[in-house]
Amino acid sequence: MTGPLNRCSAAFGETEIDGEVVLLSLADGTFFSLTGTAAEIWSLIDGTHTRDALISALALRHDAVEAEIAPDVDAFLAQLIKAGFVTAG
Amino acid sequence: MAVMMEPATPPHPGPGLLAHEAQVRYGTVPRELGGQAMPPGSIGLHADSFLLQTNTGYGFFYRKGEGVVIERDSGADPAEEVLWLNGSTYAAIAAINGFLPFHASAVVWNGRVYAFSGPSGAGKSTLSAALGRHGLPLLCDDTLVLDIADPARVQCLPGHKRLKLTPQAIALTGSTAQERVAAIIDKHYAEPPGGIIRQVLPLARLCFLEDGPEIAFTPIGGGERIARLNDDHYTAELFAQARDEDFAARFARIAAIAGHVPMTRLVRPRDPARFDEVTARVAAWIKEN
Repeated sequence: MTGPLNRCSAAFGETEIDGEVVLLSLADGTFFSLTGTAAEIWSLIDGTHTRDALISALALRHDAVEAEIAPDVDAFLAQLIKAGFVTAG
Repeated sequence: MAVMMEPATPPHPGPGLLAHEAQVRYGTVPRELGGQAMPPGSIGLHADSFLLQTNTGYGFFYRKGEGVVIERDSGADPAEEVLWLNGSTYAAIAAINGFLPFHASAVVWNGRVYAFSGPSGAGKSTLSAALGRHGLPLLCDDTLVLDIADPARVQCLPGHKRLKLTPQAIALTGSTAQERVAAIIDKHYAEPPGGIIRQVLPLARLCFLEDGPEIAFTPIGGGERIARLNDDHYTAELFAQARDEDFAARFARIAAIAGHVPMTRLVRPRDPARFDEVTARVAAWIKEN
């Protein structure tokens, strides 16, 4: 997972309500809700951030240690990739 | 002296359109729909047509622009006819004509509609009827038909069903009992104490009824609003079928409504001894909101 993270826009529908990002899997109609940090990570998946750059940006914003937040970010990215919403180069 | 001319607002076409489309004639209904056999106990919607074959000797067929054909076996209970017609059949007619039927009863305050949704038996009809004692007339019972052409201004069509209540609910709400709905149904038609409004009015809020030990009003935010709208399974499916919507189109439609319609979770005890207290609290809450 060294290249930029990209959204697979053909795989989901997206809307934002009250600051909450709601994604719909177009494959099976399942809803996913992203709030807080999850929504923030989603906003950073823009085709320019790699996994490492995303973690750095997040750590900077939250004054956190990269190594400490990396496992949670990786787990979340794995969920998005499994759902087919994101690809990693 | 100020002399002004204001533009006249034409009446909303929905009620007239649906009344016209729901006109009934008796005859023979098809045995298949869209190439699929439709035995007793089946229901289907295909393109601009709807077919319902009940297990109780009724058939209902609707095609857009042609009204409803009813076929009734000699042994069928006549009292059932209006229930099937105003239930699944009317919901399909509404959906085929671009309106969204939603499982809710609703009241009116200050020219706006407050709708109560929940599963069957949640108390939608009873609460809505009882709110009439606090000056909130009934708009509809059990099915709220929505015009969602402009999601920023969702409009509610007046109800097409008569209010139905159990004898206990009639006593609790102060409604006036009328004839029994059907021999096998322990409910009576009823006149709510606050009367009935027959106007198209904007939707103010959707309230989802839940049981709990104490009265609580909790705003429903974000994605849960989408999930709540999507959970109205039967009517949501019906509308999606009528519009031939895929997941993306359905999501876009629901998201647009969810983004504009405030929703509230209304938890209250179902203890009859506290019913008047609950009703008064809900009425006060509506008047404050």
